[in-house]
Amino acid sequence: MVRKFHMMRVTVAAAVMTAALAIAAKADVTIGVLMPLSGKGASYGQQQQNAIKTFMEKYADLGGKAGKIKLVIYDTRGDNTEAINLTRKLIESDQVDAIIGPEFSGEAEVAFPLAVRGETPMITPMAAKAGIATANRPWAFRFALTTENVYRPLLDEWLKKQKKPIKSVVIFLDAKDAVSSFDGKTIFPKLLKEHGIHVLDSISFQTGDIDYSAQVTRAKPLNPDGIVVSALYNEAGHAVAEIRKQGMTQPIVGGVGINDPRFIQIGGAGTEGVFAASDFYADNPKPSVTAWVGDYVKRFGEKPSNASGEMYDTLYLMRECIKSTGITGGNAKEDRTKLRDCWTNMKDAEAPLTGATTIDKNGDGTRIPTVLEVQGGNFAVVK
Amino acid sequence: MLLQQITNGVMLGSTYALVAIGYTLIFGVLRLLHLAHGEVFMVGAFAGLQVVLLWHVGPLLALIGGLLGAAVVGVVIELVAFRPIRKRGNSHLAPIVSTIGAGLVLQEVMTKVFGAEQTAFPSELQKHVYQFGVISVTGSQLFILGTAAISMLALHQFVTRTRYGMAMRATAENIQVASLLGINVDTVILLTFAVASALAGIAGVLVGMNFNAISPFMGFDMGIKGMAVMVIGGLGSIYGAMVGGMILGIAEVLSVAYFESSLRDAFAFGLMVLILIVRPRGLFRV
Repeated sequence: MVRKFHMMRVTVAAAVMTAALAIAAKADVTIGVLMPLSGKGASYGQQQQNAIKTFMEKYADLGGKAGKIKLVIYDTRGDNTEAINLTRKLIESDQVDAIIGPEFSGEAEVAFPLAVRGETPMITPMAAKAGIATANRPWAFRFALTTENVYRPLLDEWLKKQKKPIKSVVIFLDAKDAVSSFDGKTIFPKLLKEHGIHVLDSISFQTGDIDYSAQVTRAKPLNPDGIVVSALYNEAGHAVAEIRKQGMTQPIVGGVGINDPRFIQIGGAGTEGVFAASDFYADNPKPSVTAWVGDYVKRFGEKPSNASGEMYDTLYLMRECIKSTGITGGNAKEDRTKLRDCWTNMKDAEAPLTGATTIDKNGDGTRIPTVLEVQGGNFAVVK
Repeated sequence: MLLQQITNGVMLGSTYALVAIGYTLIFGVLRLLHLAHGEVFMVGAFAGLQVVLLWHVGPLLALIGGLLGAAVVGVVIELVAFRPIRKRGNSHLAPIVSTIGAGLVLQEVMTKVFGAEQTAFPSELQKHVYQFGVISVTGSQLFILGTAAISMLALHQFVTRTRYGMAMRATAENIQVASLLGINVDTVILLTFAVASALAGIAGVLVGMNFNAISPFMGFDMGIKGMAVMVIGGLGSIYGAMVGGMILGIAEVLSVAYFESSLRDAFAFGLMVLILIVRPRGLFRV
């Protein structure tokens, strides 16, 4: 019921955008973008929209005779069904050359097979669950690191920094969010086991829950040495606030979903000292990062998050591929194959914000993540 | 731990009870379902939040803001979505559609005005933690319990002691006879909506304060739960709604505490089905 209104709003927004970008008469390369502008994870989508704005102003023109990059943007509301419908629409009626998105692993799991069937390269900027691109070779890719590649250095660093050695943990996980649930049930336990850490209990909540008191009351008497929270920023923020409210003071480490300033806003003072890791880090002193972040803050009044950075870099690498393959948007079938090959063979491609990116044989991006800790109400690099 | 979990459940249940009382009041008087009641609850939360953000006042004034905001919206819903349909004959289905519509409009308007993201009250109350033996309670939880108890007591006094309260009960008994006896039925119905919505508004502010999560979509779940509580409490029974709310709150919390969160709704609603099998007309049948 609500869906229709959102769809309409976004289609109008996209139409305005495409109209504005389509003024150039030269052939344009059309790229579809799927992200959540409302509903679950809307904060990610809104930040990515800002990133897209800054990118398009600087890089929409491909230079020379090549025309422009044209984006067709749709709102998935973080909803799997919507992701399926919109992927189909982008491939069949919009005839895009490639698709960037969707945002969440759950969406990617159902949308990627359509990209394979429609022979269209589809690159998710940040979906993190293991194996989603691998299952849909050769058309599906992931720009972000797999969670396992993020958590390994994260846990090493977190464990090293604790005064009291951590022998046992309780894992809180969002059972309804695909990647949070998978990480909490599979990846974290596996990595913790490598460190000889005992998982005392794994306690779940659901996306959209507001009351976490029962879960935390259940964890408290177990008295673990540390706490793992595998959830998105909203739920993780509430959970951490409740953990501190009930007087549990153990060190906390979070999954990839908490990399958002809103996690700190919602969780309040309780988030101090929480560890996380990220592909992109806004306070990175690298000149290309500081320049972009400065401009972003000036325009949108807040620091870009991991989601914005990953979207920007995915677009950047997509543009590099368009340029290096020399496609002009005339022939969707041919263009799609060329872009796919470019992504498949990507090696040490320099992305301005997150650094040298290689796509491995599974279709996953690899690079070195940054380990962060909440300090004074902000994520800061752990030194 | 069990005691603490039951305390958690009572906190949650008292907000369910407030919403369910509103449902049951309206159903008692009109014998019609008000499916936008969850959204009225949501508007109350936003109204309370706005009062705090605009004037930097304490939780009591936020409650009053939420109460007034929700009452106004409730009255408007009666005037727009119920009254015109009621005047054109007694269809039981039409108000269901018109109130779903009203609820969607409220949700959309709030999304447009305040955005789809969760927002929260500035948290000062949260910090104090009181220890009663093995049970720990925060300031905001005590505030919730106190407010819910006072609201329910006030409602009890209102319906048993005042002229308007009695008129309300008379109308609930039989709308035609009440009108023959000289009760202005339209006024009583408006009053019922105002009172029911005010209670939902209070619940909205309380939920916002305790859980720090106010969003345009918070009303949907609450609406369904409020309706379920009304049914197990006994249609039209205020005391049934109070007890039913507590049962649902405690059942939810215990299912999370001893099973899995994914089983929570199945467990809580399963329990309600059981209650209905044993007592088909609810705990406190009217």
